[in-house]
Amino acid sequence: MRSTVTDSIATAAVAPRQTAGGRGASRAGGPARRRRRTLTAYLFLAPFLVLFTTFVLAPAVYGLWISLTDWSPFRDVQSFIGFSNYADLFRSGSTTHDDFWQSMGATGIFVVASVPLLVVVPLLVAVLLNQRIRAATTFRTIFFAPYVLGVAVVGLVWGYVLDTQSGILNHLLHVVGIQADVPWTVDTPWVWVSLVGVTVWWTAGLNTVIFLAGLKGINTELYEAAALDGAGAIRSFFSVTLPGLRPVMLFITTTTVLASANMFGQSYLLTVGGPGNATRTAIMYIADQGLSQNNMAPAAAMSYVLFAFLAVVSIVNFRLQRERVEKGSAR
Amino acid sequence: MRKSWTRGIGAGLAAVVALALAACSGSGSGSGGGGGGAVTGNGEYAGPKVEITFWHGWTGGAAPTLVPQLIDKFNSEHDNIVVKAVPQEWADIASKLPLAIKAGKGPDVAVLHGDDLATYAAQRLLLQADDIVKALGYTADDFPPGVYDKGNYQDAQYAVPWSVTPLGLYVNKEVMAKGGVKDIPTDKASYEAALKSLKDAGVKGEWVDGYVFTGTFEFQSLLWQFGGDLYNEDVTEATFNSDAGVQALTWMRSLIDDGYSPANVAQDGNIKALLAGDTAFNWNGVWQTTNTAFDGLDWAAAPVPQIGPEKAVWSSSTHWVFPANKGQDENKTAAAATFVKWMNDNSAGWAETGELPGANSVRDDPALVEKYPNLAPFMEELEYAHYETVSPGINEANALVTTAINEALTGKKTPKAALDDAKAKADQILEQNRAKYGD
Repeated sequence: MRSTVTDSIATAAVAPRQTAGGRGASRAGGPARRRRRTLTAYLFLAPFLVLFTTFVLAPAVYGLWISLTDWSPFRDVQSFIGFSNYADLFRSGSTTHDDFWQSMGATGIFVVASVPLLVVVPLLVAVLLNQRIRAATTFRTIFFAPYVLGVAVVGLVWGYVLDTQSGILNHLLHVVGIQADVPWTVDTPWVWVSLVGVTVWWTAGLNTVIFLAGLKGINTELYEAAALDGAGAIRSFFSVTLPGLRPVMLFITTTTVLASANMFGQSYLLTVGGPGNATRTAIMYIADQGLSQNNMAPAAAMSYVLFAFLAVVSIVNFRLQRERVEKGSAR
Repeated sequence: MRKSWTRGIGAGLAAVVALALAACSGSGSGSGGGGGGAVTGNGEYAGPKVEITFWHGWTGGAAPTLVPQLIDKFNSEHDNIVVKAVPQEWADIASKLPLAIKAGKGPDVAVLHGDDLATYAAQRLLLQADDIVKALGYTADDFPPGVYDKGNYQDAQYAVPWSVTPLGLYVNKEVMAKGGVKDIPTDKASYEAALKSLKDAGVKGEWVDGYVFTGTFEFQSLLWQFGGDLYNEDVTEATFNSDAGVQALTWMRSLIDDGYSPANVAQDGNIKALLAGDTAFNWNGVWQTTNTAFDGLDWAAAPVPQIGPEKAVWSSSTHWVFPANKGQDENKTAAAATFVKWMNDNSAGWAETGELPGANSVRDDPALVEKYPNLAPFMEELEYAHYETVSPGINEANALVTTAINEALTGKKTPKAALDDAKAKADQILEQNRAKYGD
């Protein structure tokens, strides 16, 4: 699911102008023909639409209903209680208020700390890999490799590396003369360094590959023209590469923000949400409340609040980057 | 955007799947009326041939070979009962069992952890087993003190004990000798003296952590040793922030402050350190006796040292239960009871999994200790072991204890402040549980 979505959006983003400047076939047909074409299109879309409705849309609506009830898996009848689950989230002193907003704060910290790195690092790596260097494919595979690992493996491996007393990392630090036992997975702020670092190591490969695809789509003549105009490597990166990557950039920032906001496994496995509850993310708290503690209704309400936040962030992101695209093309 | 939807409403999706599951099975066959099963005297089943299903979560260690052997043996000895075991992860059982029972698709017998019993009982998912237990001839005296009562919720018995798993003191004898300590310490004075001489020899003797499995269970053991308890009698209020609780957590914190333990030990860092020869003592569960990493190590297990004025140790327990499936067949429940009795009688081999068999008759057999000498100190502890709290939804409140320990050991809060904060939150949870599960 994840990869197919990624692929299709990536290709669409890389080559958006092919159809727009095409023959204009749809304009040629009459109304009846157009209707038939529309019908055909919907028929092709139908299988996905059925799956989307069954597994995304319907549960989403059902979740909304749950969030408005005092839903309990142990009762046969659920009663409608309006917005009180939501009100609890915004009422200081309720059972969910403090924990929920703390987890939202933790999620916020992680997003702000991880997203810039997850965009910049893959971008630089992609630019390097796009040079005519030996064994580029090998390097690409190496950078992408961690992404295929499951989060359980990532958590286990890094747990050994980051252990306070017996971890490999602290051992290496001792070798170079840093004697402190850094509590990578136990205490702030190190837990954030670890979580962001591990996430970059784990998922940067995906963004790198998408950036690479974007780079391949930039017309090489533009670089030649820039070089003729006297632009150096840095100038052509900012004047040719970055503008050429704008559609890809929009896609990557959007998906990366969402992925980081949904972080769960890393802190669940590496820091166990600690110290205290400092690294318990929103998804972790929602999952615990909904699935472990049977507080499904408040958990559903939290999901929708989180969703609202992410929707706003995504829309702002779209707006900002779309304006830049328009300005860029107008210039 | 779609991604955020998918993830965001994961809870909703799970609910829909659950609902569909319930709906599908609701249309299934509904034979017989609800009610308890009857066993015909002495635990033998004499009814028509039945097939009973058995859910358990023993998916690791020696269990996956042991359980099928036991069941095969039982099946071959009983012409009119066929037991079909359905092993699955404990977490899957927790999520599936309630819905399955409500839909009449649950097992005829299952094993649950002690802290879940009340949750299930409060939801009327289990048959009241007073008659079954009586027919099998069990009383509280057939099990270690305090275990049998864990199956008692609101004056009805819902469970038969199966196994107990106390905490103990694991000792790396080689490291201990390095510190010039000859005998395994048993009380506060000798334990602290041992830690001190280990410290003088450059060894941090016990690594305390603020996580489940060691820190949490060590704290609970100490809480009871200092005369405290996690909750009040009727579990309406958390009491782990009492003087006893503060003393217990302060003592754990002092191990770090006195240089007997390093700071910031990660989860499981302490057992790893014991195995690597970096520390001498680790408070850990009896299940570690089966850890193959101990092979070749000069180690021993002992009862946990008595730090407070009373002897006490944390233990968990597992129990047999008889699910109250919609339309549960009385014959099947009766056959299940026979199975339970037989399993308990034949549970000597269960020690192989690093759990102590619950039945006294089995544990008291000298052959057991002879075969598994490492279990002896743990069995010794059962006289004064404390078990889970009987109250529906208690695990949500218990989790706060771990948070408090973690905060105190990482220096985020003082032991008292951490426990006070956790108590305030736990009281809210207890109140919420009363509303959620009814009182």
